[in-house]
Amino acid sequence: MTSLLSVRDLRVWLDTARGPLSIVDGVSFDIAAGQVFGLAGESGSGKTITTLALLGLLPAGARTGGSAMLDGRDLLAARGARMRRIRGREVAMVFQDPMSSLHPMLTIERQLTEHLRHQLGMGRREAHGRAVELLTEVRIPDPEAALRGYPHQFSGGMRQRIQIAIGLACEPRLLVADEPTTALDVTVQAGILRLLHRLCREKDLAVILITHDLGVLSALADTVTVMYAGRVVESGPTAQVMGRARHPYTRGLIDSLPHPEAADRALVPIAGDPAGPESRPPGCAFHPRCRFSEPPCRTAVPPLVRIDDGREMACPVDPLVASLAP
Amino acid sequence: MVGFVLAASWLVIALLAPWISPYDPLAQGAGLYQSPSTGHILGTDELGRDVLSRLLWGARISIPLAMLLVGLAFTIGGTLGGLAGYLGGWVDELVMRGADFVFAVPTILLAMAVVAALGPGLLHAVLAVVLVSWPGHARVVRGLVRTTMQSEYVAVGRLLGSPTHRALAVDVLPNVAGPVIVLAALETGNAILLLSALSFLGLGARPPAAEWGSMVSTGAQHFEAWWIGVFPGLAIVTVVLAFNFLGDSLRDAFDPKAIIKARGA
Amino acid sequence: MFLCLGVSLMAFVLTHVVPGDVAVANLGDRASSDPVAVRLYREHFGLDKPLPVQYAVYLGRLVHGDLGESEQSRRAVRTDLAEYIPATAELAITSMVLACLLGITLGVIAAVRRNRLSDQVLRVVSLGGMSTPQFWLALVALYVFFYRLSWVPGSGRLDAAVQPPPRLTGLFSVDALAAGQLDVLVNSVQHLVLPACVLAAFNMGLFTRFTRSAVLEVLENDYVRTARAKGLPELTVVFRHVLRAASPPILTVVGLAFGNVMTGTVLVENIFSWPGIGQYSYRSATALDLPAIVGVMLFVAIVYILVNMVVDILYGVIDPRVRLA
Repeated sequence: MTSLLSVRDLRVWLDTARGPLSIVDGVSFDIAAGQVFGLAGESGSGKTITTLALLGLLPAGARTGGSAMLDGRDLLAARGARMRRIRGREVAMVFQDPMSSLHPMLTIERQLTEHLRHQLGMGRREAHGRAVELLTEVRIPDPEAALRGYPHQFSGGMRQRIQIAIGLACEPRLLVADEPTTALDVTVQAGILRLLHRLCREKDLAVILITHDLGVLSALADTVTVMYAGRVVESGPTAQVMGRARHPYTRGLIDSLPHPEAADRALVPIAGDPAGPESRPPGCAFHPRCRFSEPPCRTAVPPLVRIDDGREMACPVDPLVASLAP
Repeated sequence: MVGFVLAASWLVIALLAPWISPYDPLAQGAGLYQSPSTGHILGTDELGRDVLSRLLWGARISIPLAMLLVGLAFTIGGTLGGLAGYLGGWVDELVMRGADFVFAVPTILLAMAVVAALGPGLLHAVLAVVLVSWPGHARVVRGLVRTTMQSEYVAVGRLLGSPTHRALAVDVLPNVAGPVIVLAALETGNAILLLSALSFLGLGARPPAAEWGSMVSTGAQHFEAWWIGVFPGLAIVTVVLAFNFLGDSLRDAFDPKAIIKARGA
Repeated sequence: MFLCLGVSLMAFVLTHVVPGDVAVANLGDRASSDPVAVRLYREHFGLDKPLPVQYAVYLGRLVHGDLGESEQSRRAVRTDLAEYIPATAELAITSMVLACLLGITLGVIAAVRRNRLSDQVLRVVSLGGMSTPQFWLALVALYVFFYRLSWVPGSGRLDAAVQPPPRLTGLFSVDALAAGQLDVLVNSVQHLVLPACVLAAFNMGLFTRFTRSAVLEVLENDYVRTARAKGLPELTVVFRHVLRAASPPILTVVGLAFGNVMTGTVLVENIFSWPGIGQYSYRSATALDLPAIVGVMLFVAIVYILVNMVVDILYGVIDPRVRLA
């Protein structure tokens, strides 16, 4: 598996008066073309910040460390015009809320073609033709009419399809979809997910799918990385991570999902609240909420250890990890 | 912060003017048209009066009058606006139409007409400015009363059986207070501007009085002695700037969104 | 409609239910000591009839577009207005364009560079513009640029030796351009620059403040991030996406600011001897010239209504969601 994007030791932090405030701490992963890479975790775990860092879209004041190599170029080091050439053309992003992520006062055509014209230097005619093509590709009925419309005239699912079309316009190689279905009805969700899956296979597109919904990932993702409090706690092939979750946090996430085949089983929520950047406990950040925590969890940050079934995880309590540790 | 310090120092100057002024503001003792010097720091005017002393005494006219005026305008506008927002219906309609009307006519035009009708004089000018500035207060108070009354916690209070006037006292007033203080600060600045403009036009303070607007007006007739008009104008600028800064900082302080942002959420 | 009725009634009441005597104010000291002259004057203007009758007569003529005769100039108020409006329009429009261009640009800069040094400087500049009395600013500008530096002429719309261009719009600069009289155009622009700048100062500050806060609010929206994620240049993002979304509140303030301009013209026109509505209304107000006052107020109210209508139409042009509603 050759990787398209290779992220190594990505760190994001804010410089505050009381010293650096860590938001993402040492995240590494690889993504291959034509694959769906799932990024999971509760809100505040740093999933979105991780991907915003790749596009240089972090809020003002945020600093980054580590590297993110795309074809031998480090995304984290790219600035200004170089970064702008990467955005849209190499890496595109689809945001969570299709209601607020489209400009309410500009026509769909304008929003779908402005980067075609700016990035690829297309003329008005050519860009229009490409826009029709794109809308057809994401299954928007009557593309010509849709191009003349404004976002408020479309349903949430349609808007999300339009966002995806905008993301695909300049034929990027990596598409980041940040909770693309969270704001949508369940039936609409399935359509959007199928669309993403199809595009991924047909266009040899790499997709980062961010979600807190592990059910979505088990159906769609090739590999899954679970984050908690800015760190990766478990990652590996979907079958391993989802089918036989080992990290207590991953297991907690899975146990809190409704099971279609066992509807009578009670959902088990994870006790307590996720730790925000300001209130991260020392050691394993998950230990205050963990049923299995032991004294070492409170002092040392557990390293991510590769296990022989292809997964990596960070939990000193796991017998397998314990046996592998030096 | 800057605004607060500036405004406070002008208030102190207004209070202490009789003691800190080097000369009697009306005394015509010195030579005419003396340019600024160590004897007369800001020079003397066309009658040989000390410009600095007149300027300091001027603070005793403009600032208290502006505050009085804003108080009056707020009492009238706030009461009308509060009633309009609280009662709704035709009271609301009437008050808001009236406010619209005053808004449609430029303030100075209306004020000029009022002063011209009543005859020139500082008190008449104050009345005129009150008459044109109450709608601003009325609108703000009405809007605040209405949004607060429609908010969920007032609705909950009503469901729990507390009478509406209680809601007004307990829920509405505290929510109205912040924006009203902001408005008062900004309006004080505007009032000083308008009042001095009327005086400049000869419709406010009468000649011997040391009022800043009329001092600038005098300066306008003596271009070669620029200090006569320039310094009183600077006094107006600094006072109004102080109140505008004050209002601006207060707005940041009272804006709940800004508060959330400041906490870094 | 309601507004016009209100204006006429208001002005009427103001000038009648007050101690000032119109006849005395207009006839001057010598004539007003002569009872015959006073009586003739009153009869000529219908001032001897009861107030409600005077108002009804006045209103009746108003409906037919007759604003009455100015008690000062002894001409129809309409003629007076027609003469003075273009001068004020030229000044007011120029100053509004200046204030919009500068204020909105500076506001965008302040918002984008929020809390940096340039934002702080712009805050002082804009609040300063809003805190400076226009009459004083006008005098200082005159002192510096006319009295000291002689860069610009001091007063009026044209030099005394220059003939006004053939009347087309009444705006001298536009008419001169239309007639191809370049020397007249240059002369009129020289006269226009200083008063227009002085008049623009307050609104420039106002627009800067408002644009800054409107833009800051828009910058937090997700669609701004979407635009950036497309790789558009920052200038395109700010001016095409952000400013577009921020424009409705800015537009509202620009509409309201026409009132500030009218207030400003009273002071600025008097100082620069600019023969417009501002000067006319000051003369009329101090002389208690009722028909003229009401004429000016009606004119201003109509401008206010028109400006608000234009603003409403523009809302629809800018925001498609308004078009549906």
